[in-house]
Amino acid sequence: MTEKTYPLYLHKKHEERGARFGVFGEWEVPLYYTSILEEHEQVRKRAGLFDISHMGEFVVTGKGAESYLDFLLPRNIKKLPLGKALYSPLLNERGGFVDDIIVYKVSSERFWIIVNAGNVAKDFAWFKTNLSGDVLLTNESDNKGLLAIQGPLALQVVNQLYPSLKLSQLSNYGFIEIEGGMIARTGYTGEDGFEIMIDKSELNHLWDRCFQNPDLKPIGFGARDTLRLEAAMLLYGHDMNEEVNPLEAGIGWTLDFTKTEFVARDILLKIKEQGITRKLIGFEMMDRGIPRQGYPILKSGKKTGEVTSGGVSPTLQKNIGLGYVPIESSAINEEIEILVRDRPQKAKIIPIPFYHRKKSE
Amino acid sequence: MNIPQDLKYTKTHEWAKREGNIVIVGITEYAQKEISDVVFVETPKLGQQIERGKPAAVVESVKAAFDIYAPVSGKVSKVNQSLESAPGIINEECYGKGWFFEIDMSYDDDWNQLLSADQYSDHLKQESTKH
Repeated sequence: MTEKTYPLYLHKKHEERGARFGVFGEWEVPLYYTSILEEHEQVRKRAGLFDISHMGEFVVTGKGAESYLDFLLPRNIKKLPLGKALYSPLLNERGGFVDDIIVYKVSSERFWIIVNAGNVAKDFAWFKTNLSGDVLLTNESDNKGLLAIQGPLALQVVNQLYPSLKLSQLSNYGFIEIEGGMIARTGYTGEDGFEIMIDKSELNHLWDRCFQNPDLKPIGFGARDTLRLEAAMLLYGHDMNEEVNPLEAGIGWTLDFTKTEFVARDILLKIKEQGITRKLIGFEMMDRGIPRQGYPILKSGKKTGEVTSGGVSPTLQKNIGLGYVPIESSAINEEIEILVRDRPQKAKIIPIPFYHRKKSE
Repeated sequence: MNIPQDLKYTKTHEWAKREGNIVIVGITEYAQKEISDVVFVETPKLGQQIERGKPAAVVESVKAAFDIYAPVSGKVSKVNQSLESAPGIINEECYGKGWFFEIDMSYDDDWNQLLSADQYSDHLKQESTKH
C-alpha cells in the first residue's frame, strides 16, 4: 500500500530539468537533477534554486495579533522590529515541539508565518485553539508558492530579478513585502540566501526568470538535506518532535523567560532549573560507517540514544550526524559508537554547527 | 539504458559475467543511476561463502544504503579493492572498473537461472510501468 502523494505545483518544470523524484512527507519532490554531490557544491560555491512550495503560510492580523503571538510563542514578538523575521519553536503545553516556524512582522497588527509542510493542518489547529479576540488567522498555503535562492551568488541573482528593491540592504532575517508575498533574507542551507513568497499563479514565471542567470542551478531535496545537516539546522520529525523540548534540542535561546507568560513557560522554566536529562549532540564518525536516521547510539556497548539525522558531509568529507544522548555523556570529544548494520562504529561528539560559512562582508 | 548483451542479470539489478567457474559481479546502469553518488561500499570478505539471492555487499550513496545481492552461490574469490578508495567508479564505469567481487560458483545451475540482457530489459520496462 502506497500513501497518497501530491506533486509540487512546479512538477512539470522539475521534469523538464531532468529531476529524479522522491517522496518527502506527503509530497512528491525533486530529489536531485544531476547529482546530490554536484548540487551541494553548487550551493556552497555559487548559487542554487530550491522549490519549497510545499511549505505552509499563515497570516495573522488584527489589533490583538502581536499579543496573541507573544503568548503562543516562546520568543519575544513585541521586541521584534518591523520588517524583521525570527525563527521560533511552536510548543505544546508540555513544552514539546508542535513545529518550528518563521514569524515575519509586517506591523504589530500583521504577521506572516511559514510552517513545515507536514505540519500545516496540525499547526493551524493549534494556532486556532489558542486564538483570542481581535485576531484573524488565515491559511494561505494553497495560494502561495515559495522559492529559495541560496549560495554566495544569491544576492547577485535576486538583484537581477528585482533591480529596484536594493536587496543588498536587507539584513539577515530582514524581509520586504512584494506584490502577492515577500522576499526574506533567510534559508536552510547555512549560506547567504533569500526566500521568495509569491502567488502560485506567478510561480512558473518566476522559476523561468531565475534561470536567466547562468550561474543558478536547480537543487533537489537531497542536497537540501545534506546542506542543512552540515549547518546543523534541525529537521522537524527527525531532530525534534512533540516529545522533546527546545532545551534538549539545544535551542534554549529561543525561550524568553523574561516574558511573564507564554505556552509551556512554567514547565520549561522548571525543566531548566532542574536540568535536562538528555541533549541533542553532533558527532563525526571515526570509523568508516555512515550514520543514518534511526541507527542506535551506543555508550560502552549499551544503547543510549538514536541518530535523528545522519549522512555524508560533502563539504567536510566526513560522515556526520545528530542524535540525543544522556546529558552525562554529552560532552565534546566524548567517544560514542553508532550501530551500523549490527556493527558498532566509533564516533566522537563534536561542536555544532559542523559547517560555518566564511563571512565575506 | 546500456545493457550489454554478453552479461547475465538479476531482477535486483546486479550483472554477472562468467569466466570458467568464476562469476564476476557488479551493478547495472539502471541501479547505478537509481543509487547515484556512491560514497561507500562494503564488500564481502575474501573466502566468504555467499548465497544466491542473499545480500552480499552494501552500497551507500549520499541518500541511503542499498543491499547488493549475490547472483549465484559460492565462495568469494576476489574483491575489487579500488572501491574502498574510489567508490565513485561505480557511477562512472558500472560494467567495467566498478565491478564488486568474483564468486567461485558452487552450483552450475545457478547460472542458468539468471536473466539474459533481453529478459532484463523487459524486466526494467515492467518496473517502470509499475510506478
